[in-house]
Amino acid sequence: MISLVSRSLQLLLLLLIACTATAEHTSNWAVLVSTSRFWFNYRHLANVLSLYRTVKRLGIPDSQIILMLPDDMACNPRNAFPGTVYSNADRAVDLYGDNIEVDYRGYEVTVENFIRLLTDRLDEDVPRSKRLGSDAGSNVLVYMTGHGGDQFLKFQDAEEIGAWDLADAFGQMWEKKRYHELLFMIDTCQANTMYTHFYSPNIVATGSSELDQSSYSHHADNDVGVAVIDRWTYYVLEFLETQVTSANSKLNLGDLFDSYDESKIHSQPGVRWDLFPGGEPEGRLRTVVDFFGNVQNVEVENANATEPGSLKEDLAEIAKLVEKWQRRDEEYSAILNNSTQQTENRPSSSVHLNQKKTVGPTRMTDESSWGKRLVGLSVIGACTAIWVAGSYLGR
Amino acid sequence: MTNKKGDQESPKALANSTSQSATQRVPPPETSEAIHTRFRVIAAFWAVIIFLGFPIWWKTTSIYRAHLPIQEMVDWDDGKICRPVFPLEIHVATPQMQISESQHLLRTTQHTLDDLNEFAAHHLRLKPVNDTSASTPDEEHNVDAIGNAVEEGAEIALTVRVLSQEGLVSPRSELHADTTQLDVFYPPNHVPLPSSSNPPLSAFIAKELQGLYSEEKATIGHILSGETAGFDSESISRRLRRSMKYADTYHLSFSLFTPGPAPSSWDIENAVKEYLSPLLHAFAPISNFTIDTQVQLYATFSPMAPPPVYDEGEAAWTLRKEDLSAFINAAEWPLNPSIGSGPTLNFILYVPAPSQSPLVVKENRASSWIVPQWGGVYLLNPTLLTDQSGQSNPPYLTHESLRPAFMTFSHQLLTLLGTPTTPASLPLRLQTLTRVRAATLLLSASSTMGSLARLTESLPSIPIPATVASSVSTTLSHLSATCSYLRDGRFAAALASARVAETEAERSFFEKSMVGQVYFPDEHKVAVYLPLLGPIGVPLLVSLLKEVKRMIARRKANKAPAASN
Repeated sequence: MISLVSRSLQLLLLLLIACTATAEHTSNWAVLVSTSRFWFNYRHLANVLSLYRTVKRLGIPDSQIILMLPDDMACNPRNAFPGTVYSNADRAVDLYGDNIEVDYRGYEVTVENFIRLLTDRLDEDVPRSKRLGSDAGSNVLVYMTGHGGDQFLKFQDAEEIGAWDLADAFGQMWEKKRYHELLFMIDTCQANTMYTHFYSPNIVATGSSELDQSSYSHHADNDVGVAVIDRWTYYVLEFLETQVTSANSKLNLGDLFDSYDESKIHSQPGVRWDLFPGGEPEGRLRTVVDFFGNVQNVEVENANATEPGSLKEDLAEIAKLVEKWQRRDEEYSAILNNSTQQTENRPSSSVHLNQKKTVGPTRMTDESSWGKRLVGLSVIGACTAIWVAGSYLGR
Repeated sequence: MTNKKGDQESPKALANSTSQSATQRVPPPETSEAIHTRFRVIAAFWAVIIFLGFPIWWKTTSIYRAHLPIQEMVDWDDGKICRPVFPLEIHVATPQMQISESQHLLRTTQHTLDDLNEFAAHHLRLKPVNDTSASTPDEEHNVDAIGNAVEEGAEIALTVRVLSQEGLVSPRSELHADTTQLDVFYPPNHVPLPSSSNPPLSAFIAKELQGLYSEEKATIGHILSGETAGFDSESISRRLRRSMKYADTYHLSFSLFTPGPAPSSWDIENAVKEYLSPLLHAFAPISNFTIDTQVQLYATFSPMAPPPVYDEGEAAWTLRKEDLSAFINAAEWPLNPSIGSGPTLNFILYVPAPSQSPLVVKENRASSWIVPQWGGVYLLNPTLLTDQSGQSNPPYLTHESLRPAFMTFSHQLLTLLGTPTTPASLPLRLQTLTRVRAATLLLSASSTMGSLARLTESLPSIPIPATVASSVSTTLSHLSATCSYLRDGRFAAALASARVAETEAERSFFEKSMVGQVYFPDEHKVAVYLPLLGPIGVPLLVSLLKEVKRMIARRKANKAPAASN
């Protein structure tokens, strides 16, 4: 009896520890990548857009979703339903909708840009919407789809990313504390080979097919004329759409991976747990919304609480600060007025907020164009002289 | 070896020619000139390959890797080089005591403080101040104290004035909320006697000081070791979790959202200037801020969000606490300006439709909440205008009506930037934040150095340009400067230095040209080189082998006659 009690206490303690561990991540990011262009790869873009719709539905804001689409199926001239992308022949949900934010499009989707995105080795002038701003507290979902082979994934018919490079990119992300936990999903032929080289911890990886297996499309829409979604993605989405109905869902990764049905998917999906601390038993406990949803533990401020750091206390302190500044401003302006009469238009506050200024056109360079022309002329002259001299001497 | 017809000919060829001369026509023997020419041609080819081809290939395929002080970087990461310490200087003014009395008080208080302190990295040093000018509240100085990064000597963290007051039974203290000053009042008969080793007044002062800095100590301890001891660890880790990651520049975005056509304008410029700029100025030594504002009319809730419910008892529309995370319509509200380089803090002022006013949070009638690491929301319920068509929101929000909202935003800003909750004096809290941030940046820049060092070692195919090496040396020098500033108690200077170190460390790690997508498996390399090396390499190698063979044979032939003679 006593042992039972102590056992259950231990269990409770374990659960508690597990809870505090899961509560650690503070933000969610999603990187959704399709890697193939052209009309007959319609399904790859539909895969990614379906996932995009799902993570957005579960609460990840656009600013934390990086969407890479190498082609624009909605505006393809062969699209019988212009402006739309569907992932199902019933055409119930237009994935393109009126509110999607594509961060990398067309020929911007390259291996280099993808690796730069993950490792944040980007130019300073790249806007924040195109950056992965994750930190040590972020759970990151990486979904890739396209045409692949043994340990590579083809990008844009022109280049490929190797499993080693992907592993190194994740390794660097871990080194720089750019993720807390990472879920890697890939739907391509021989997909499971893509995560074999991963070595950084806290990664759960899953793919659609084993080595030497193809990953098949699910069904075609006869009016669109091409296959509209891949099998593995279709069944993952089916799980996410029918089971994970709200951001508060308690379903975990174990449930998601258990839902794989090889007879339906027509290939053997794989899961890699060994990088995750605690391995499979621990990893299975992570909820699906840990990766597909967004944490937002809002903190309501109680206007009546009086503990230190509460709203009321802070307000009093800030009010005092503001008062003091007003006093100081008055004194300052009084001094200004006394000493100099003509500097009345000087701002009375000593805090300089950025004033709006209209910016006129500026010259890009300030070197004289005539100097350049002179140099050019003399170069041409010298070349001509050499040519003339050469032809004269060579005769 | 009997035939001496030609010295130059190889013995094998000779043997062939003698044995087969009867059946086959022998090619004419090569002249020594032809052999010389062939030797020169082959030598020329190989010379080009060895002296020109090979260096060019080596040069063009090798990866430039600047030298980095790997060991030093790793040592910083391991914390072997710097143990950050935080000596706080506290001035004690005792205008109403004799010098000997005050010295005794100071000595005993310091003794008690040292006994109380169990966290060695953070300690308080008391210093006597004799002139009365320092004891008067010098506001200008106090406000600027944390802004003055180049100030010489240790900063004064706190000024304690010890004053006697009639009619007191036991000592009491009073902390000024707008300055860094603590007044301690004591009954006149509590003046410590030189004989007593532990007078109650010293014990009281020591306890007060200890209490003032307990949260800071716990926070710094948490940052340095990753675990908290003593103080409420849950609240500290919660605070660290919800506060933004440090950035040099934060972007503040103030948005007015309303589901209807009014209010369509607000006195935002004056509101920001009046209510927010004092705080931003106080934050200047820690971070920079840029501000933008927007007004969005007809902003609806997301279709997924549960709508507010009318509560009869409260006579108000209410939102449930668990639904608040769905309040912001991230899909449709334009909240992601993505301007500039810093992270954005969003502050949303939501004015509900007249039909849903007033709108409050159900559980505690609060009208504001914080979204960790993202921003804050304030529900403003203005007094409605009534005319013949019904009730409507006022078209313009004056800056008086914005006052509660902006005061709340200021509070939210303090929270989001990780300001500690105690002591109850804003300048002191900002000083604490300075120290906490300096410690955080010191650690984060050090760990970036360690990451870069490990990355350099583990990925030999990644190029390391010279700019990285210079950034690394800047980082390391600023890190050691930070460390020594901390030791001297010059925290503003330490923070300034740590900011440079952090920026440079980030720059070196995120150097654009360090992209490792050059990994090729060995079979790829063979596939690249084989078409080139096959057709060219085989004739070259074969000819070299033949020539070497010929030379060896000739040397043997030369030796053999010498031996036989």
